[in-house]
Amino acid sequence: MANTITAGNATNGGTAISSDTSGTLELKTGSSSTTALTLDTSGNLQMNSGYGSVATAYGCRAWVNFNGTGTVAIRASGNVSSITDNGTGDYTVNFTTAMPDINYSASLSFSRDPDCPSGNIATNNATGGNVAPTTTALRVGMYLFGVGGKDVTYINIAVFR
Amino acid sequence: MNQRIIYPTDDGGVAIIIPAESIETAMKDIPEGKPYKIVDVDDIPSDRTFRDAWEYTA
Repeated sequence: MANTITAGNATNGGTAISSDTSGTLELKTGSSSTTALTLDTSGNLQMNSGYGSVATAYGCRAWVNFNGTGTVAIRASGNVSSITDNGTGDYTVNFTTAMPDINYSASLSFSRDPDCPSGNIATNNATGGNVAPTTTALRVGMYLFGVGGKDVTYINIAVFR
Repeated sequence: MNQRIIYPTDDGGVAIIIPAESIETAMKDIPEGKPYKIVDVDDIPSDRTFRDAWEYTA
């Protein structure tokens, strides 16, 4: 059964929330009843937030901003239960709610500090080998070639899936 | 958060868990079977010059 809830006057710029017979929830705004947001039966959130079209939004599942020097500390985070300091320039981000699988994408950025280290995800600084991501944690390493691990002041990690 | 969880690593060093919100939610991040201790943040040296030489003592 299709339902529509309309707020305001649709001819002069109201808002309408509707669900069609497929079960998709749709939010339309403005006098032209432009679709601004939909939620389909699979739970996919689609929106047009200035992108020019309505498309699925892939949210950040976890993020953290931390200081990896001195007294290592988290400045702010979302869906992160803790970080683990494994050694010099070697940290693990632990998720509060696990990822659905290990095929997520992680974005890593960090300050120069001032020796310009390289940064790697899924890496063990001590061995130089890969550490496969898990659904509950991701290891990251800051490294100076020819020197070894390097502590960094500003480290930011965001995880998408 | 003024507490930390420490546990020995497999290579003889020590890992330090820094909770985001509480010790309770970070407890799950201790590897299974590892001994651990909850310590005050002031018990962890802030001079990390020899960080990789730190050891866990029971």
